[in-house]
Amino acid sequence: MTSLDISKIVDGILKGDTVSISRAISIVENDLYSDRALEILQKIHPHTGRAHIVGITGPPGVGKSSIIGSLVPILSRKGRRAAIVAIDASSPFTRGSIMGNRIRMQENLTRYGTYMRSLSTRGLSGGLSFSALGTAKILDAAGFDTVILETVGAGQSDLDIMRLAATVVVVLAPGLGDEIQAIKAGLMEIAHLFVINKSDREGSFQSIKDIQDILLTAPQGEWKIPVIGTSTITGDGLEELIQKMDDHSMVNRSGKDRNRLARNELNLIVESELMKLASREMEENDGISEIISQVADGSKDPFSGSRSIIFRITRDIHEEP
Amino acid sequence: MAVGKSQSLFRDKPVKVLLAKPGIDGHDRGMFVLARAFRDAGMDVLYAGLLPTPEEVVDTAVNEDVDVIALSLLNGAHLVVFKKVADLMRSRGIDDIAIVGGGTIPEPDRPKLEKIGVSGNFGPGTPLSVIIEHVTERAAQARKKKMGE
Repeated sequence: MTSLDISKIVDGILKGDTVSISRAISIVENDLYSDRALEILQKIHPHTGRAHIVGITGPPGVGKSSIIGSLVPILSRKGRRAAIVAIDASSPFTRGSIMGNRIRMQENLTRYGTYMRSLSTRGLSGGLSFSALGTAKILDAAGFDTVILETVGAGQSDLDIMRLAATVVVVLAPGLGDEIQAIKAGLMEIAHLFVINKSDREGSFQSIKDIQDILLTAPQGEWKIPVIGTSTITGDGLEELIQKMDDHSMVNRSGKDRNRLARNELNLIVESELMKLASREMEENDGISEIISQVADGSKDPFSGSRSIIFRITRDIHEEP
Repeated sequence: MAVGKSQSLFRDKPVKVLLAKPGIDGHDRGMFVLARAFRDAGMDVLYAGLLPTPEEVVDTAVNEDVDVIALSLLNGAHLVVFKKVADLMRSRGIDDIAIVGGGTIPEPDRPKLEKIGVSGNFGPGTPLSVIIEHVTERAAQARKKKMGE
């Protein structure tokens, strides 16, 4: 064993020590140390399950980071301990990233002592969900009562947030589209709350009404999906947003919902781990290059080619459980 | 899990670097050039924005657990401000995040900065590849220390 003391880090997390929290997240982010990550996540598990995990998603530029930055002082005034996790896109070519979310909130973060961490997608579809979930668990165990997860500017199909968060807030802005956009499948279906940000701008009332109208056409359960207009310039709607997030967390406490969340978590981890194995196999295994050249010269079709690759991956798992 | 052959220190988690200009200095064009170059070199890049305090820079570095803090100043305050950042890190007991510097730094100041742990101290005209190489080297030292190797 190396000099990195896992039980010391775990103790630090439970005491809410920033350096230990930061280090633990780095370990969870880094596959090179997956055994240590698992050890940490196992040890903190009994201390998790209390935090309300809120996902904030929506198209790029609608103001997700700015909203979160503006929620920080309000939550702090209410005596709440909030932590923020923001996800940034990596380059699909170099895997590098510019983590720009923090810049919208840094001043409030330091002033109110709020913990915030940026994660990058690293070009791996699966890797991110695993580290985001692990990070949320660490912050949960550290005693934060609200963990806000901000996604990369989501398109109509980036829906993993639905599995990570108990409450999903979809943020939109005026002028993004008409009623047809609003009834499309995908992003618009996963919201527990809708926020129309930049409500100081022209057309915001119309956007709020468009979404409300569409919601009326769908059968609603016990939870009525609210549509809230917010502005980070005037501060309008932010108190209401926090109120509705809290209301939804109450709905979440029911047993049926816990089952749904557990299933989502398992689903997400299994998928993440398999995706990581697959990308690794594709990148590093010599046997794959043979299959690639067979597919390239047309002697093998890509469907049976991928079957062979999947066979190799599962064989590796059996070899080293 | 099967271990691949090209296993390297940064394969699963790239170098994470925080770019910052603490102090009163708004010349951030160079920071954008560096941010872009670091990104293209495969790093995770954070930029602290305009006019952060040394406290904000250290808070960010600790929260984000970066490998390297890259400080730049063109206003001549480097001896005071870089030192302040280094002192804050030391007072928080953190010795596994490297600090590198750059900007308009007169030759006689370079050893003084080295002495407080700020390395590099690149002036105008330094090729980006030299800076990237230095940051990667310092990041490797920091990462090994962090992960107890």
